[in-house]
Amino acid sequence: MLNQQAESVIKIRDLHKCYWVGTMPFPALYGINLEIESGEFAVLAGRSGSGKSTLLNIVGALESTDSGRVEVLSRDILSMNQDQRTHFRLHNIGFIFQAYNLIRVFSARENVAYVCQLQGKSKKESMEIANHWLQEVEIGHLGYRRPDQLSGGQQQRVAVARALASNPKLILADEPTANLDSMTGRHLIRLMRELNQRLGTTFLISSHDPDVKQAASRLIKLADGQIVEAWNDIPKPPSSITSSCPMSNLPLTERLQNYFKAARGNARNKKRRRKTRRRS
Amino acid sequence: MAESYRLGLFTYFSLATRNLLRNRRRTLITLITMIFGIATLTLLSALNDGWLSQMKTNFILSYTGHLQIHAKGFETSQNLNDRIKDPEEISRLMQSYPEIIGWTQRIRTSGLASVSGNSAGIQIMATDPEQETWVTSMDQGIKEGIWLRPGMSHDLLLGRTVAQNLGAELGDRVILMAQRLNGEMVSEVFFLRGILETGAPQIDRTLAVITLNSAQQWLQMDQTVTDIVIRADVHDNTDVLYRLFVQQLSDLKYEIMPWQELDPMVRQWLEFSDAYGFVILFVVIILVLIEILNTMLISLHERQKELGVIVAIGTKRHQIFLMLLLEAVMLIFIGAILGYLAGSLIVFSVADNGINLTHFANAFEFFYMDPVIHPQLTQSSAIKILGATLAAALLAGIYPAWKATRLQLSQALRIQ
Ligand SMILES: Nc1ncnc2c1ncn2[C@@H]1O[C@H](COP(=O)(O)OP(=O)(O)OP(=O)(O)O)[C@@H](O)[C@H]1O
Ligand SMILES: [Mg+2]
Repeated sequence: MLNQQAESVIKIRDLHKCYWVGTMPFPALYGINLEIESGEFAVLAGRSGSGKSTLLNIVGALESTDSGRVEVLSRDILSMNQDQRTHFRLHNIGFIFQAYNLIRVFSARENVAYVCQLQGKSKKESMEIANHWLQEVEIGHLGYRRPDQLSGGQQQRVAVARALASNPKLILADEPTANLDSMTGRHLIRLMRELNQRLGTTFLISSHDPDVKQAASRLIKLADGQIVEAWNDIPKPPSSITSSCPMSNLPLTERLQNYFKAARGNARNKKRRRKTRRRS
Repeated sequence: MAESYRLGLFTYFSLATRNLLRNRRRTLITLITMIFGIATLTLLSALNDGWLSQMKTNFILSYTGHLQIHAKGFETSQNLNDRIKDPEEISRLMQSYPEIIGWTQRIRTSGLASVSGNSAGIQIMATDPEQETWVTSMDQGIKEGIWLRPGMSHDLLLGRTVAQNLGAELGDRVILMAQRLNGEMVSEVFFLRGILETGAPQIDRTLAVITLNSAQQWLQMDQTVTDIVIRADVHDNTDVLYRLFVQQLSDLKYEIMPWQELDPMVRQWLEFSDAYGFVILFVVIILVLIEILNTMLISLHERQKELGVIVAIGTKRHQIFLMLLLEAVMLIFIGAILGYLAGSLIVFSVADNGINLTHFANAFEFFYMDPVIHPQLTQSSAIKILGATLAAALLAGIYPAWKATRLQLSQALRIQ
């Protein structure tokens, strides 16, 4: 399954993202180039604030960028409008969050079935699919419980089932084990890795957790919004692991100065783009 | 998009219900506030409708009837020359309308009454004593003595106040003075047979009733009259009859006046009370609207993160909109129905005995009002109340729902 044809699921070129608080720029991502191929179990590592969540949110079509190209499953997600993005997420991407983020008023089964219903499947069919995935994550017997009646590990398993239920090609997980004890976290990672190998679903996971890093087929390290190191257990032509970034060797103050220079240019573009986005 | 992805209605309802049950205390408090508001609104509008309808009935039955037909111009001139010369022609029409319960012919003119040296201006009203009982309940207003009988030619009844002012007692000789058709002033002696209260103090201050026959002879009117007074079976048929008569009778010869036009004061009172009803409706609905808006905005704020997640996993903006709108509409609808039921219950429990305002009766004495008000539930007030609440629900639901669709996804997802 893994090495059929190296078809890229995520393709990022020269991505910049800066948050603005009032007139103060907070650079979050700077010049990211990244390609993730089908079937990978890629882990984004890096210190807190290094931009992991930002990158995941951009890939997940949840957030916009300042400049660069982002293709997910060969679709230019940055050019989509809100509803198109939602549609795209519903059919192509599964999300797993650090805080599980299940819908509180739904049972585990209903949480999983909800995405299928969004996809237009009947309630009955959706429930059957939900049962199947809950079995897959080994909590089939807890389907009737509401999130507040489940442990953290069990809730995260429901979240994994929910992410898989829409039959996505890509799953994005933002620190999925951070709220779990190491034992439970290890179990969850093993489960996700197994599903990745069995189903061929591509995973992109952000994490500090050494256990997660260990399970990775590829490790991408972020620091101050840049990729500083990438490592791969499958040998690949160097071009696919774009990690070289001369700036990362400079001291922080200099890097920031360079960033602002670039950001000022981008801010102008950004304003222009904002206008066009609003119009659409 | 070629395919349209729709959530089943059931999913929306179950989400809305569960979200409402999620913070039970808040939902309960909101509901109680609404129930209280709507129940009060129901009660107040039932009181309003009750006294309005009592006032209408009193007004119509005391003296005026539902509809009057005069010769053209009589209502303004009050001149006997503007008289109906052929009342039988109109009377023949009466038989054919089942909406008419009764009708009577009258002569109305002003004059002077004196009793042993005291004199007072009066309104003479001459009617057929039997026919009159089909139209008004004047005969039941007799406080002393008896109601007139046909053939009584020198007998009269006086309004309570005018009798007091004249110092007249039963059996007293009362000299009436009035103008004949030709302008000649004539006077005649009548005997006081009864003292009556119509329910309208301003009428009781001037009213003198004699039989139609005696007036026709005395004032040399032959078979002519000034008024034909008609009573319909129900108030609402007044308009139907009005239209029929307008079609049937020449508007060159006759003026046809429904009760509202016969007393501009009454009409103003009715309009005022309609306006008052609307003000109450408006105030209560605004309060309900603010309450719901407040509840929905708080709940929206608390659920930002969850809404972010719901959108992230693929819920479209219009679906979010519908979810939240449905929540507000459900909340208001439950509140409105329970409130209306609670209000109706109170209305039913007091309707029979009425609410006794005797203590404040002085204020109520003028103007056809009973000191005991019987609140009344009407279809139109129910429609008004429930319709206005639904409109408020939509208004109060749309803003938070719209706000939810404007949610900043990345921000919402970062909330811990
Ligand atoms: N809405 C925002 N406004 C301003 N700055 C923001 C905003 N969101 C994120 N940032 C900044 O962007 C940078 C990257 O944040 P991000 O959340 O991607 O980090 P992270 O690597 O996920 O960190 P963690 O491991 O703590 O989750 C941080 O410096 C952060 O302060
Ligand atoms: Mg993060």
